[in-house]
Amino acid sequence: MSEATREIEELTEASYEFGFSTDLDTDVAPPGLDEEIVRLISAKKDEPEWLLEWRLKAFEAWQAMEEPDWAKLDIMPIDYQAISYWAAPKQKPVLDSMDDVDPEIRDMFDKLGIPLHEQKMLSNVAVDAIVDSVSVTTTFKATLAEAGVIFCSFSEAVQDYPELVREHLGSVVPVRDNYFAALNSAVFSDGSFCYIPKGVRCPMELSTYFRINSQNTGQFERTLIVAEDDSHVSYLEGCTAPQRDENQLHAAVVELVAKDRAEIKYSTVQNWYPGDENGVGGIYNFVTKRGRAHADAKISWTQVETGSAITWKYPSVILQGDRAVGEFYSVALSSKRQQADTGTKMIHIGKDTTSSIISKGISAGNGQNTYRGLVKVMRSAENARNYTQCDSLLLGKDCGAHTIPYIEVKNPGAQIEHEASTSTVGEDQLYYCRQRGMTEEDAMSMIVNGFCREVFNELPMEFAVEAQRLLSVSLEGSVG
Amino acid sequence: MTIHPDPSSEARLGALDRIGEIGYPTKRDEAWRHAPHRALGELTFGPPVAPGIGVPAELDNQIPVLEGPRVVVVNGSVDASLSNLAGLDGLRLSSLAEVLAERPEQVAAHFEQGDSGIADVFVALNVAYGADGAVVQVADGVVLDVPIHIVDVGLPAAAQNATCTGVLIDIGVGSSATVIETRVGAGSEFGGSNIRTTIALADDSTLEHVLLQDVPSVQVHLSRVDVTQRAGSVFKARSFNLGAAYGRIAYNVQLAGTGAHADLSGLFFGFGDQTLDQQVNVVHAAAGCTSRQTYRGVLDEESTGVFNGGIDVRPGADGTDAVQSNDNLLLSDRAAINTQPRLEILADEVACKHGATVGQLDETALYYLRSRGIAADEARRLLINGFADQAVDDVGIETVRAWIIHRLGHDHA
Amino acid sequence: MLHVENLTAAIGDKPILKGVDLDIGEGEVHAIMGPNGSGKSTFAHALAGRDGYEIGGVATLDGSDLLEMTPEQRAAAGVFMGFQYPVEIPGVNNMYFLRTALNSVRKARGETEVGARDFLAVAKQAMELVEMKQDFLDRAVNAGFSGGEKKRNEILQMAVMEPRLAVLDETDSGLDIDALRIIASGVNALRGPDRSMIVITHYQRLLDYIKPDFVHVLVNGKIVQSGDHTLALHLEDHGYADFVNHDLDDAPEKPLTGAPS
Repeated sequence: MSEATREIEELTEASYEFGFSTDLDTDVAPPGLDEEIVRLISAKKDEPEWLLEWRLKAFEAWQAMEEPDWAKLDIMPIDYQAISYWAAPKQKPVLDSMDDVDPEIRDMFDKLGIPLHEQKMLSNVAVDAIVDSVSVTTTFKATLAEAGVIFCSFSEAVQDYPELVREHLGSVVPVRDNYFAALNSAVFSDGSFCYIPKGVRCPMELSTYFRINSQNTGQFERTLIVAEDDSHVSYLEGCTAPQRDENQLHAAVVELVAKDRAEIKYSTVQNWYPGDENGVGGIYNFVTKRGRAHADAKISWTQVETGSAITWKYPSVILQGDRAVGEFYSVALSSKRQQADTGTKMIHIGKDTTSSIISKGISAGNGQNTYRGLVKVMRSAENARNYTQCDSLLLGKDCGAHTIPYIEVKNPGAQIEHEASTSTVGEDQLYYCRQRGMTEEDAMSMIVNGFCREVFNELPMEFAVEAQRLLSVSLEGSVG
Repeated sequence: MTIHPDPSSEARLGALDRIGEIGYPTKRDEAWRHAPHRALGELTFGPPVAPGIGVPAELDNQIPVLEGPRVVVVNGSVDASLSNLAGLDGLRLSSLAEVLAERPEQVAAHFEQGDSGIADVFVALNVAYGADGAVVQVADGVVLDVPIHIVDVGLPAAAQNATCTGVLIDIGVGSSATVIETRVGAGSEFGGSNIRTTIALADDSTLEHVLLQDVPSVQVHLSRVDVTQRAGSVFKARSFNLGAAYGRIAYNVQLAGTGAHADLSGLFFGFGDQTLDQQVNVVHAAAGCTSRQTYRGVLDEESTGVFNGGIDVRPGADGTDAVQSNDNLLLSDRAAINTQPRLEILADEVACKHGATVGQLDETALYYLRSRGIAADEARRLLINGFADQAVDDVGIETVRAWIIHRLGHDHA
Repeated sequence: MLHVENLTAAIGDKPILKGVDLDIGEGEVHAIMGPNGSGKSTFAHALAGRDGYEIGGVATLDGSDLLEMTPEQRAAAGVFMGFQYPVEIPGVNNMYFLRTALNSVRKARGETEVGARDFLAVAKQAMELVEMKQDFLDRAVNAGFSGGEKKRNEILQMAVMEPRLAVLDETDSGLDIDALRIIASGVNALRGPDRSMIVITHYQRLLDYIKPDFVHVLVNGKIVQSGDHTLALHLEDHGYADFVNHDLDDAPEKPLTGAPS
């Protein structure tokens, strides 16, 4: 190991000071899943007994469950016994300069307009980027600590704030919630923990921080965000840059708890590798995301999904407290052979609860896009309100759009409105733009971005700009 | 489920085998999610049996009284004494049993299982046991201005509480007709009727098909209407799902010819612990077709409404224009509505829209009426009637509209 | 400047334009009048390059062959089409659209792109021309606009794009008298020695406000008479009956698909 590399490694280690690192021997468990593996994971992470018990309970539940039947998904069977459920965190090879980065990825970075220093961090190019990251991290750490906000890796939270984790883990997504949530609960590797104390408005978008540090979080990620009374946090996961991973199956769980009058805004930009033209090698992304909103609390999910071979996720809100608010804004793009089955569930329990759903599905190439959503109004939910709008855009002859909303209402005071439409980019719209001098591709990109406007408006500014570009880049070659 | 063998023909025997293969639906079957599975399991099917009780003398008080051709089916067998089978110019009206005996090839399509076999167990039961009913054949180029009335009366017998009836409607090229199907019954015993209607619309033909479901509130009613539309044909379906403990009306419309138009509307109005279930699937299999689905639900007391409506646009069905809406009023805090408007689009160049609403009476409108001196109860009723009656307005025949309004109690509001 | 010779257009095997000849000089305004279905809009689209027509003959602008070009290349060459049914583009900001259009054209011509601030100044001026308020630019392109607003938006775009040749297709249709006045004064303000215009209309009314140098009558896919503005007055009094063959069997032109009805 050269001196320079050693230095970089030290710096890299330093960057994990705040979290995101565990001190384990490098080893990989043999493929397969049984109780021993669950125990091994827990032991490797030096977890308390209650958490091991919790994992074992989840494992037991998972064994008894059946894999969902994939209504609209055409999926290759997954061999759960062929996956290795434990690998010590690996350092990615550190590259000397951007010249060593896959030119395809570099090209994508440029198209997306990602700043150079972030490009370097994303591709693990060392030097100034890392130095920069250290200083950024340090600044963040100080600012967050001052506000009393806890933001650390899940493993660290288990060690340092066991009572907080124990109180909330599985409180929104129970271990037996669904097949993948059960699997995740049994074997989750790591993830993030975020705690906002009473009355605190998190002093920064956690997005920027997260973006720099969230790489390689693993296959079974676990996120828990707890916002105490009157607090506020905005969180962004993922990134517009293309992400590749050797693990095909990703089954994450995200739990949000918004106590009285708290507000959590959770934004996702997902650009996992979608596979090649034939859909080979793409990521299967099966995510369970759910929030519980107490009285006067608000949970808002925004997602831009352009990646993965298969996406299966329904970020949901349990509107438990009176006057709680749930929102879901989504753009999902399926091109090539991609299949997206996504939507939301809004469960109205409290009085005067409101929810709104804006879903924009875009199908191109051979893509199949399904909106599947549930709005459920329980008897107790006096005066509940929901507004849902699902729009689908079809680009081409071989793609499909499916809209499958379920509306179940048991309270006469509810007012529920669902609207959906399916359309194509009109020849006349393209012609109009071209008559004004734009190329067909520019025109297409402008029209599609216009279609998604209401959702992009919900993203933090800099990501909205990137998300627009991401959409345009993802649609390249879909015109005509 | 109790099954008695009998069927004579091969197709019907095949259906009997199919029953066992499919089995009864469960809560996991989308189309049967909200059905009373236990009650369905208690239905007993077999070849037609004599009614447990006689046809009520006041049958005409229970149904709209229309002059002209009429078929009355009692417990799965045509009652010639109550029917008027005399044809008109261009119209041949027969009992299904007669056609099966004399010219079975003309009704073969009704009994065929299709390429992938029958998927719905109640269709299989109907194919196996529904050996009688009504056959309406309208020749090419005929405009019938007299409606044809098909009345099904279910009178559960102790030995076998469920009946099967088959109805076939063939409309010739360029012809038009109106068919009213009224489903009633009597008695306070549990039982059910399983009625399957097969409709074939030739090129440029038009059919208005009105379905009035008003069986006793202790019974189960299962209606299934399969429609195939050729080029340029127009199908207007008007359903009123009013009776039964569980009343189910399912349409499966295939738009198989260019430029066909399907316009389905309906009202379900529930009281007590009724569950009223509408299952509508419109398949756009040809280019340039249009479809409309407009359903209204009013749910009072502990009733439950279900609307599961699909627009299914197949590859190549370019130029599809499809709109669907389901608007619901919940009048009680124990009533429930489950609505699922589906869109499945696999073609380019389509314009599809759907919408669903659930709400209660507009407080402002109530206030407005009251400020004009109308008592609160009266104002409430006016608004409910106004909501429901918009579905009634779609019915072409005055006598039928009057019957529905009367049945809803809206005429003496 | 514009030279059109024996221009034909057909949809499938159905001929619509049956050989149109037209020459337009610098700064001239030509009106093309004709009954419904005579091919007026098709002529406009043939110049702007809409897909779906079989085109024959010659059309050059400043010597360049228009028929070889894509719609955007024609726009860069200076052709501006005022649509009879301006298209709605939901979610796309009107100002952003216009700036993208202007810069696309400038880029194609090798000119520098216009920055946001400079553009705003240009747009403001253009808005005054058509008596539009600021919020007009903040709305989505034509989405939810009234008929009059859509047409004013077309003239606003024309003012910003500064075309060599403006083709205004039934710009007066569906307008009340106030909107007509605003649009006409906008068009008149944009007349100049370097800009030629083709004003397509069914009615003479518009020509009270926009005085053409020449009037052509298009019937059944051919120009059957040309003259000065008095020809329009003649049409006002006598209608098209003098020109229409009794075998006129062309179907009326339909609005573009997807246009608001």
